[in-house]
Formats: sequence, structure tokens, C-alpha cells
Amino acid sequence: MTGFVLRRLFQTLVVIGLLSFFCYYLMTLMPGDPIDEMIAANPNVTSEDAERLRQLHGLDQPAYKRYWNWATMIASGDLGYSRTYRVPVSEILGKSLLNTFVLAGAALVFSLLVAVPLGVWAALHKGERVDYVVNLFAFAGISVPSFWIAIVLILVFAVYVPIFPAGGTSSISFDMTPWESFVDRARHLVLPVLSLSFLSIGTYVRYTRAAMIEAMSNDYIRTARAKGLSRDRILIMHGFRNALIPLITIVALSFSTLFSGAIITETVFAYDGVGRLVFLSIQRNDFNVAMVAFMISVSMVLVMNLVADLLYGVADPRITYS
Amino acid sequence: MSADALEVDRALREKQLEARPMWRIVLGQFVEHRMAVVGVLVIAFFLLVALFAPVIARVTGLDPSRQNVLARYQPLASWEDASPYEREVRIERFEREADRAALASYLQGAGLVGPDVPQDELFYALVGSQRPGELLGLLRTAPVPEDPQLRRGLAELEDLVAGLRGFHLLGTDELGRDVFIRLVYGTRVSISVGLLVALMSGLIGLVIGSLAGYYGGRVDSILMRVTDALLSLPILVVLIVVSAIDLGKVLGGTPLSFVVDHQYESVIKMVIILCAFSWMQAARLVRGSILSIKEQEFVLAARVLGARDRTIIVSHIVPNVIAPLLVAVTLGIGNAILFEAALSFLGLGIQPPTPSWGNMLHNAQDMVQHAPMLAVLPGLLILLTVISFNYVGDGVRDAVDPKAIRR
Repeated sequence: MTGFVLRRLFQTLVVIGLLSFFCYYLMTLMPGDPIDEMIAANPNVTSEDAERLRQLHGLDQPAYKRYWNWATMIASGDLGYSRTYRVPVSEILGKSLLNTFVLAGAALVFSLLVAVPLGVWAALHKGERVDYVVNLFAFAGISVPSFWIAIVLILVFAVYVPIFPAGGTSSISFDMTPWESFVDRARHLVLPVLSLSFLSIGTYVRYTRAAMIEAMSNDYIRTARAKGLSRDRILIMHGFRNALIPLITIVALSFSTLFSGAIITETVFAYDGVGRLVFLSIQRNDFNVAMVAFMISVSMVLVMNLVADLLYGVADPRITYS
Repeated sequence: MSADALEVDRALREKQLEARPMWRIVLGQFVEHRMAVVGVLVIAFFLLVALFAPVIARVTGLDPSRQNVLARYQPLASWEDASPYEREVRIERFEREADRAALASYLQGAGLVGPDVPQDELFYALVGSQRPGELLGLLRTAPVPEDPQLRRGLAELEDLVAGLRGFHLLGTDELGRDVFIRLVYGTRVSISVGLLVALMSGLIGLVIGSLAGYYGGRVDSILMRVTDALLSLPILVVLIVVSAIDLGKVLGGTPLSFVVDHQYESVIKMVIILCAFSWMQAARLVRGSILSIKEQEFVLAARVLGARDRTIIVSHIVPNVIAPLLVAVTLGIGNAILFEAALSFLGLGIQPPTPSWGNMLHNAQDMVQHAPMLAVLPGLLILLTVISFNYVGDGVRDAVDPKAIRR
């Protein structure tokens, strides 16, 4: 077990390392040069000055050397300096990371609360009209473009029936009680969570349904029935418990989808999260922020995948890591 | 049971026992999946639209890149009058085509233009005096001249005036372009990107999956590590980083540099990038089926007969992995369309003026209060297409699954 975890951890670290180099290299291939942009507003800068600036920032060195400098800097705990916000990267990152966690976590809980009962319900009524409708709903969920559903939600709940704010993370106000500011945050979360949940609801419903059908067709369900156990007990203890195993993997793996989806949701709703930070900093050539934000979102997903593998063993005692 | 019924029963059983070719069985299974059949019809419709986009443009006389800043954000089913500049250009051409002096004096005589307007400004004054719709009505009620040449001239003028107003079934966008024809051309771009990406990544997946599955050992573990690593990434985040790169910096000085500044540079870039990050599912599937197939007797038999590796892979193993690959490719089309739309929506994918469903939404977001349809329509088409491909994929999976075959 420990060996397995260590090996997986090592693999994950290797992937993160390779990816950071790959990403750093990609950043050098993006349009726009940091020095050109720095001096664009100042006509007095001569080309010699630009050259000196380039040397000062180490931009005259080949990509792999610059990467090495950057990596050692990161390793020593210095995340660098944001060019657009003019503050250290760590300052912006903490808040947006928390925001994304709140968004993704809320979406995860919400979609599970909706999807699992729906999936079980559809599985128990396999082939009936309920099943068809739930299936259609699930297919729509996995097929709908998330940015579009976000726009439609804004249109319906912020423009036509203005009950929720159209975007932002919280209202700007200084005299709110803690309770008021909590409600304000929650109101800003409703539409982003809804739009982010669509895809995961679709996925979870399909998996829950399939897993439940599979579990309920086992012989031990018949045995349990023959023993005269109550319907609920069979459903929960025998059926659902076994359906849970594939579900856990999907939920843990779909963390990456949630993180991916968050980029779009955060952009549409102007929600201050890591996804939007990656997008905006790439657009603004703020590579220090982009690199760190990207690395953090990727590492988060990779760690969640590792957790998924471990949880798999907890949920199903038949699986051992040897 | 009567003798008749027995007879029918036996005939039925004989029919069932009759050997049916594989594709008939699969087709029969597929048709049973009602939503998948509906999906095929929807996809066929969109394919036709994509294929005949230029024909639709010619028949309706619409141009996807024609702008008119005076007719921005027109509502559904609205008429648009041509801009003054366009009127001038057309009248100039009209005057140059033939001698219009007789027509001009006829129009003056009919009282359509004031008597004091000089000849060379007459047509400008006429067209500028009223909106094209109303002017057209006036021209049609004017007395028909006797002279055939004059009559032809009048008909030409009517055509000219009719051409000065356009009908926008689905309104216009932020640059006054017709939304309907842009959606038609967007269908073309979005569906071709989806198809190309899915087919090419299916092919890449087939090659990588076959190599890994057939050779096993170190090849397998290296290829599968890469596959797993790519699969575990938050794809959209990676795609955003990758699609922000400048093709000019990558391809500059290589034989491929002709792609840069090509009309479809952004489309080609999108296809390459999406392919690079969507072959993994197919590779895993292919590897999985090959692992089980290569242990079977017919492969051993082929090897005993002295078949080379290539022959075994191409003519014995590949035909057996076509079915799962087909499912992966069908589902992949929907995904590719979604990713393309998402990237174009963020402004990183297909670049205007080439319309795609995603980039039509890019600008629509800001004006969602004033022109909601601009945002709603492209998204609806994406939803409809992707859901169809997903249902078809589901149907294909059910149909080719040997465990599910019911005779």
C-alpha cells in the first residue's frame, strides 16, 4: 500500500515537473514580448535600454535556462511578481484559489444531491417513461456548452427576472454584517454553481443509473429479497452500496472536469477564481501569474486523481495495491 | 393453437434462424434506439446545411461577411436598408450599364422625381428620397411604359431597388451581418472541425493503442504513462494555454510556414491542437481490446503461419477493434465541437471573420440584454448537434456490443 502510494506520488511529481517545463516553453511561444510591452508606453526607451532590460530580466537566455531559474525560484518559495497587478503572485493567488474551491465544491455537492437520486430513480424504473426523461436530461447535461447555459441563466435570472446578480464574486460594500455578506456571497454563487453543475449532473446521472442497474441485477439482490428483507434495506445496503464503487471514481475523476469547467463559468460570470486568473493572465501576458495558476490547477487535479485511486480501495475491499 | 398459427410460428422461427450478415444485425439493433435514429436525422440535416452553405448563400443572396453598421442588432425577421455608400455604388453601376436618359425622363414624367432635379443626380435623388421598401411599391404602381426598352429599364430599376433592402430572418449581429447565413457557415466550420478532429484523433489513438497493446512491455508502459498523464489533465485549462501560442513563432522558417496567415490559419491550428489532446480515449480503448484479442487462437494461428507483425495488426487485429473505435470517434465529434466552441467563445479558437458557432457567441455576451437571440441561437445549434452525436454514439455502442445482441 505505502509502496503504491509512493510510486503514484512520484509519478505525479514527474508529470507535474514535465508539464511545468512544457508550459513554460509554450509561454515563450505566445504572441507579445514582455519587454516590448513594458517599453511600449514610453517612447524615450532606446533599443540599448531595451537590451539592458532584457538582460536584467534574463530574457536573453535560452528557454531552458530561464525555466531553470524560474523553477529554482518557485522551489525556494518565491512565486514571482505579477506584472499587471503589481503585487506578488502569492497575494492574488490565495484568494482566487479559495473562491474556486468554494465554487467547485458547491457545484460538486449540488450535482451529487441532484444526480444520485435521479440516477437511482431512473435505474429502478428502467425502460419506463421516467427513465427516458431522466436520460434525455442527462444527455442534455453532457451535451450543453457550459458558457451557453451560463448566458441563458444570466438572461433568465438576472435580466428577465432579476433575482440574482449577473456576475461578480460579491457586492462592494463596507457596512455589511457577517450574515449579510454571507448571503451576498451565496447569492453571487447561485448562477455559477447552477451552470457548472449541468455537465457533472449529466455525467453522474448516467453513471449512477448504470451502476445501480448493474448492482441490482446481481444474484445477492435476489437472495436478499428471498430472505424477506425490506425493499429500502435491499436498495440501500445491497444495491446502492455496491453501486457506490464506480461512482466514487467518477466523482473524484470529474474534479478535473469541474476545474476545467470553472474556467468558463468564472469567465462568463466574472467570478474571481483561478480559472479566470489563468485566462486573464495569459491574455495580458502576465506569465508569472499564468504559470503558477496553471501549475496549481493541474497539480490539484492530479492529486485528486491519486485520491480517487486510494478511495477506490477503501470503497471496495476486493481491490488491493500490491 | 390452430394449424395456421403453428405454421406462422414455424416460418417465423425459420426466419430467425436464417443467417444474417453482421451489419444487418448491427443496423437492426441501432434502429431500435429511437433517439439515436433521431440523432442521425438531425446530423444528416446539419451535414447537408454545411455541404450546401455556398448554395444557400447564393439562393438567398446573403453574404456572411457583408457588414452594415447602420443595421446592427436587428431583431428577428427584419428588413434592412442598404447603407448610403452601397446605394451609391449600385446606382453608379446601374447608370454605367446602359443609357438611362430615357428612363430618367420617364420617371420625371411619371412624377416620381421633382421636375427640377438634374438628370445626372436623378437616380440618387430617387433612391435617396424614400426607403427602398416604399419606393419599390411606388415603382410597381407606376404606369407601364409602351416602349419595350423603357420597360426593361424600369424592371432593372425595380431589381436595383429590391436589392437595396435585405431580409434578415434571424436578425443581424454587432457588425450588421446576417445571423442566419453566419449560422449556416458556422455549421460548416464547427462540424468540419468536429469531424476532422474526431477522425484524426481516432487514427492517432488507433496507432498508439495498437503499438502499446500489441508489443506490450516497455513500449506499452511508456505510451500508456503518456496517455494517462494527458488524460488526467484538466483539458480545457491546457487547451487555453496551448491555443494562446503564436503559430508564427512555431512554424516560422519551416516548410509549414505557409499555414501562417492562411485564410483558415485559426481553423487549422484548432484542429491540430484539439487532435493533440483528444486521442487518449481512443488509444486506451484500442489497447484494451487488443490485449484481449491478441491472446485469441486466430492470432496464434496467423503467427504460426508466418504472418508478419504488420499483417497481423492490420488484417487481423484492426478489424476487431473497429467497433469500439467507432463509438469513441462518434462521441469524440461531440466533444470536439464543444471544445472548439468553448475556445472560440473565449476568443482563442476560430478567429473572425470566419464564423463558427463558438465565436458568434464571443461578442454576443456583452449585448445579451439587447440582442438575446444572438447568444441563444448558436448555443442551441451546438446543443442540438452535440446531443445528436452523443445519442448516435450511445446507439452505436449498444448496436456493436456483442453482449447486447438480441436475435
